[in-house]
Amino acid sequence: MNRELCDVKHKVTGCVSRDVRYEIMEYAVETFSLTKIFSDWWGRDKVYAVDELDLQIRYNEVFGLLGPNGSGKTTTLKLLLGLLHPTKGKAVVLGGDGADPKINARIGFLPEESYLYRYLNARETLDFYGRLFGLPPKVRKMRIEALLDMVGLKAVANRPVGTFSKGMTRRIGLAQALINDPDLLILDEPTTGLDPIGTRQIKDLILELAKRGKTILLSSHLLADVEDVCDRISILYGGKIQAEGQVRDLLLQTNKMQITTDTLSDNAVERIKKLIKDEHAECEITSPMDKLETFFIKTVVDAQQQAQPTSGAVSTTDISDFLAAEAVQESILDKLVSAPVSRQTPADSPKTEQVVPVETSEPKSDDKLLSELSKPVKPTQPKPVAHDRQIETQPVETEAPKSEEVKKSILDQLTDRSTPQNDDGEQTDKSQKQK
Amino acid sequence: MRIIWAVATNTIKQAIRMKIAAVFIVLLLVLLPVMGVSMTGDGTLKGRLQTFVSYGLSLTNLLLCLLTVIVSIYTLTNDIQQRQIYTVITKPIRRYQLILGKLLGVALLSTVLLTLFSAIIYAITIYTPKIYDADKSDLFQIDNEFFTARASLVPPQVDVAEEVLDAYKKLEKGDQLPPDMPRREVMAELTRRIQLRKRAAVVGERLVWEFDNVKVLDPNETVFIRYKYDVAISPPDLVIYGRWDVGDIRQVPPVFKTFSPTKDPIRTFRELHIPASMIAEDGYLAVSFLNLPLNDTTVIFPPDGLELLYKADTFTANFIRGVLLIWLRLIFLAVLGLLTSTFLSFPVAILLSLCILFTATFSGFCLESFDYLGENLSWIYFYTVRPIILLLPQFDKFNPTKFLVSARLLSWSLLAEAAGLMICIKASILLLLALLIFKFREIAKVII
Repeated sequence: MNRELCDVKHKVTGCVSRDVRYEIMEYAVETFSLTKIFSDWWGRDKVYAVDELDLQIRYNEVFGLLGPNGSGKTTTLKLLLGLLHPTKGKAVVLGGDGADPKINARIGFLPEESYLYRYLNARETLDFYGRLFGLPPKVRKMRIEALLDMVGLKAVANRPVGTFSKGMTRRIGLAQALINDPDLLILDEPTTGLDPIGTRQIKDLILELAKRGKTILLSSHLLADVEDVCDRISILYGGKIQAEGQVRDLLLQTNKMQITTDTLSDNAVERIKKLIKDEHAECEITSPMDKLETFFIKTVVDAQQQAQPTSGAVSTTDISDFLAAEAVQESILDKLVSAPVSRQTPADSPKTEQVVPVETSEPKSDDKLLSELSKPVKPTQPKPVAHDRQIETQPVETEAPKSEEVKKSILDQLTDRSTPQNDDGEQTDKSQKQK
Repeated sequence: MRIIWAVATNTIKQAIRMKIAAVFIVLLLVLLPVMGVSMTGDGTLKGRLQTFVSYGLSLTNLLLCLLTVIVSIYTLTNDIQQRQIYTVITKPIRRYQLILGKLLGVALLSTVLLTLFSAIIYAITIYTPKIYDADKSDLFQIDNEFFTARASLVPPQVDVAEEVLDAYKKLEKGDQLPPDMPRREVMAELTRRIQLRKRAAVVGERLVWEFDNVKVLDPNETVFIRYKYDVAISPPDLVIYGRWDVGDIRQVPPVFKTFSPTKDPIRTFRELHIPASMIAEDGYLAVSFLNLPLNDTTVIFPPDGLELLYKADTFTANFIRGVLLIWLRLIFLAVLGLLTSTFLSFPVAILLSLCILFTATFSGFCLESFDYLGENLSWIYFYTVRPIILLLPQFDKFNPTKFLVSARLLSWSLLAEAAGLMICIKASILLLLALLIFKFREIAKVII
């Protein structure tokens, strides 16, 4: 079916009928009255951690599970992954059982605390998880270096994870969740313990991954984070969904309007006030505020540019800063690594290799189309929403466009490497799609 | 397999970097050479070697057993308790692969350590005679009685059932049966007495043992009669004079060799060296003992008081088999540790495993004492406690030191038996249980 679709895609080039796509698309995660009751030692039901939960998460959606402590967020994620057995109900993840290794191969999971082996160093940790995915040594090495770069831990890659600060552990935890280039990323409170810059990086990363067709399910009680990245959210309380929907719809005050302008003269303001009064409406005029996060990042970036770099600054490196220097090398490495690999793959695959770097530098119209098609999972409706909202909630963009490019190139590496490498049926499908 | 290997290497790193193995390794590295120098045994070179091998192997065995149990339990319970298992089990790994990987890691670690330490023990043992500049008679003794592997033949147990029955009937006829004594006990007492009579020689009496199937590879070799005297009344100087003859008494006239009268302390094992040429072509050999009139007491041979020994293999081969016995034990313990940690927390699993380890170490004693105590409990005992004890491995039955110290052949068949019982049957059952329990276990289970 997928293959047929690919053929159709090639013929129509870009004008794929959305209806066709929706017919074959199921939910990435779907639960049917999922219930988990924790009992005491005698087997008596004590706590309804998750109660008749019906979740539906579409492919390529950033979905947020919100709720106060103990509302069942983590329990839900554990149920999805087979770490807990449901008392009642069923969870379908990527069309299968979340405990099935075949499905696990396509999931990246970051638990609420990055439970890692203290005695392994950062590189060994990633290598271990890479080996659990059965990644060949070359791919593993390449991805490990790229990921270490991305999470800014390359400088401390040989230190045991046990000596890391919480934020650093979090970063390595995130890296291990990405090592298999997952289709579905399950993040349990991804930003806890991270400094604002780290938080911002993770949020950017989530958005970037979403752009590349990943499905992301994250749980959090940090509302600002969720608001920034999620397409849809569910608010849990007592194991039940209390509210669900698109962030925009949920937050939009339909009975109010906001007008943002450049600074106006007092006279003009008075006139507008009068105009509004004539409409029998109330109005309030203030200057818009920067978000504290934006302000903080701006301050730190300024400080970094002025002051001499310290060892402390390096350990909390801004992803983009660290990657800027590596960008060229990485793409060479990319080709080197991919060369022997491409032999195993269908004849067309080198084309894909060419497409991606082009996308990151200067997108030409044709190439852009191609690269769009080469994405493993098709974009869906929620995506444009994410774009719009992103602009809305981030009035000041602090990211330099250059860094954005670099990050993409690493993500490309991750995405592309897995496609030809994995001999999994699922992956082969993908590589065919890329033709 | 690659996944199992990844888990295994991680397990080894864990054991080493968390310094669990370090304590044991340092302890053994220090203690073994110290023991090699300080242990003198009874002062002779043979005694020194026997004590060192016995204590060295026992210590290595004990520490590696503990290490294996601790590592195998730590590695899984720690993953579960510290929740690293959340990130591992959600990767495309099957649960049995995790268990097998852990098992492989623990087994590899134990194997490497066992190889290392037994090599140290072997080297010290081999070099001890050179260091102490042993004289010829010492060297001759240790060559025959220590640096060899001798097979043993014990005289067959004489069937006394009929005699016992006769004696019982006789008592019954004469109405001499003790009152208030059940028949069973009378019979047991009679059996004991008659068997004792068969092993006893009053002054001037001769005892004869016949052996079949003595298969010596080289007719120029020596065979050994190993014997120990017990006495009815201890002589003042605690020695017994005896005359030994060996040969073929089936022929007419009998062909035999008489040894000059011996003078041996009581309750101590002594050995008689016999040229292998005395053994008949069909492997027959008769041995007789004469209680010389110089003695003033009846001489009794305890049940294990006489056996025929002959060289059947080299010390090295025997030592390797001894080490393999310990290895089988370690593998069993690794499986046991993993099984207990699939459903118990670290301290409880350790406690249970150690209990099983020590029960297994003294399983012979346990079985005997339970058999004795359990007689009155009848079927309850036979269907509950006994099968459980029988399910445990019998470490004392397969204890290599008792073979090496007395230079006894530890045969491949015994090794195969140990492997079959401990690994193929018992450890396999345990492993299967572990895989089953872990497969259905709720990893993140919470009990409120």
